[in-house]
Amino acid sequence: MNAVSKTKKSLFADTSVSKAPVMSREGSVSIHEETTGSKAVKYLLIGISVLFLFVMLVLPLITVITEAFKKGFGEYFKAISDPDTASAVTLTLKATVIAVLFNTVFGVFAAWAVTKFRFKGKKILVTLIDLPVTVSPIIAGLIYVLTFGRQSTIYPFLEEHGLEVVYAVPGIILATVFVTFPFISREIIPVLEAQGTDEEEAAAMMGADGFTIFRRITFPHIKWALLYGIVLCSARAMGEFGAVSVLSGHLRGKTVTLPLHVEILFGDNKFMPAFAVSSILVLLAVMILIIRSIVEYIGKDRG
Amino acid sequence: MYIELRDINKSYGDFKASDNVNFGIEKGKLVALLGPSGSGKTTILRMIAGLEHPDSGDIIIDGQRVNDIPASKRGIGFVFQSYALFRYMTVFDNIAFGLQVKKADKKAVQERVTELIKLIGLEGFENRYPSQLSGGQRQRVAFARALAPNPQVLLLDEPFAAIDAKVRQELRRWLKEMIRKLGVTSIFVTHDQDEALDVADEIIVTNSGRIEQTGSPLEIYRAPATAFTSSFFGQTSELEDYTRFKFFDRVDNYDKAFVRPEFIKMTKKDEIQKYKNSAAEGIVEDIAFRGNYIEYTVNSNGSTFIAHRALDEEKVEVGEKVDVFIYRLFITVGNEVRLLKNGSIREEMVVI
Repeated sequence: MNAVSKTKKSLFADTSVSKAPVMSREGSVSIHEETTGSKAVKYLLIGISVLFLFVMLVLPLITVITEAFKKGFGEYFKAISDPDTASAVTLTLKATVIAVLFNTVFGVFAAWAVTKFRFKGKKILVTLIDLPVTVSPIIAGLIYVLTFGRQSTIYPFLEEHGLEVVYAVPGIILATVFVTFPFISREIIPVLEAQGTDEEEAAAMMGADGFTIFRRITFPHIKWALLYGIVLCSARAMGEFGAVSVLSGHLRGKTVTLPLHVEILFGDNKFMPAFAVSSILVLLAVMILIIRSIVEYIGKDRG
Repeated sequence: MYIELRDINKSYGDFKASDNVNFGIEKGKLVALLGPSGSGKTTILRMIAGLEHPDSGDIIIDGQRVNDIPASKRGIGFVFQSYALFRYMTVFDNIAFGLQVKKADKKAVQERVTELIKLIGLEGFENRYPSQLSGGQRQRVAFARALAPNPQVLLLDEPFAAIDAKVRQELRRWLKEMIRKLGVTSIFVTHDQDEALDVADEIIVTNSGRIEQTGSPLEIYRAPATAFTSSFFGQTSELEDYTRFKFFDRVDNYDKAFVRPEFIKMTKKDEIQKYKNSAAEGIVEDIAFRGNYIEYTVNSNGSTFIAHRALDEEKVEVGEKVDVFIYRLFITVGNEVRLLKNGSIREEMVVI
């Protein structure tokens, strides 16, 4: 009814305007400019964006690639097949996989808890989940050094059980997990919130157990958000520098991740190898971007 | 009594959702829990289902106290207001879900679901998702899903609220017929009196956490027992001072007086009416066309009320003076309701 009356009204308005042709021409031009903007503005905006991206992103990327291949393919492969580089790649992937696994489990649980239950201190919990994004990674690293390092009260206990955290692999994993904490839960929470608890309640009433409810009702709903969260989490985990740097101790071949390895090479004035190793990170980032696009595309398609 | 609630109390903080609720429902009946929003009707339904727990009192189903039995073991089918269909499952899987989680035999599930899909008239829609169905179809699926595990009791929370008016009428009839056919004891919650009067065998009227009255639709409509029900049912209007109208017994300590359109005969000045001498003069203030009748808002003796006239009767204009005769009215004294008849009617000739 409303829509009909609206169209009627606008038709009426049109006819009244056409009775005064001069007015209508002027009117229509100004309306057109107001709604779509002039072509000049459009291309100016696109131009600025492209220029900005080129200077800030494309140019550095080109530099990385050209510097990496400056001395030819042979030198490039020599640089990236160095045992220290190989160990850095392994450690980075290891930390990333563990961080993603841990945060997937944690993220799903946290999102579930926050959206499906009502309890006191829920807002505090949500804020805490976001904390790692707001805290500087360096501080995150320092917190772990103070918690698990020599000056800590629990250090004697850790030492007794042969658990090395600071300046060891567990520390690096811990730092990576901390920094990438919110990425997955942040993706899932809005989706679960939008869904509400009706379907779960209905399923529970029919006698479905918690696991069945999760598998058949909740999971299909969060699947794409979860996958997207995993992609983001992986990207962040691979690139993490600050917190890892504090906890690593820079023991070559042992506790050095790819970003740290790049820094060390760079500090040693080994520019070409530094760029060569950087190119690995670039490659990984591009792969993740491609996966992200695919996930977004399919996810949108399936709703 | 098949379902019985005894002295049920339930509060949410300061808000008393159920205040000493008592009622019983016979097996196989279709019962409406009717009341304005916030009257505690949904809370009662959810407590019977086991989705909420009473602070005190007993809920008895088939002679067994079920307070401590979890919702999933009570043998109850529940149709949610929003239907809560599983959006990532097909119609078939939605209906089959309740049977599958009970580890029913695959062939039995197939048979039962096919039977139910036939019952709800959605053959050919088995592989559709809820988002591909209309509101009415979704409701039918929700109904079938609730019925799949053969529940003893079916509970429906505002089953028609989310459906547009035209389909609602049709669906009401359909649901009523289905429930009769299956003989499953059913309770539905509604705030729409027409819906309750139309569909239910019995109505339980709730108001601010209490049960106001229970009875058949006809009983409740004809003989409201409390002040609340007398004003809730029908298109009631309150009279300012009923003693200004002729030939009604005087009750000195009455609180309020109500009339319904069917209690009133409104005639044009030149029309013949048996009780013309007892009629009062009124002025028509507003006219509304209601399809099969015309609704007039009339002011008479300081009161404004609603009167109906049939379409084939001569039209009355706004501002026209008319004669208004009131056959009978309700007065409330405390929480008690009395029906007063106009003294000028000798014989009992009008029945509602």
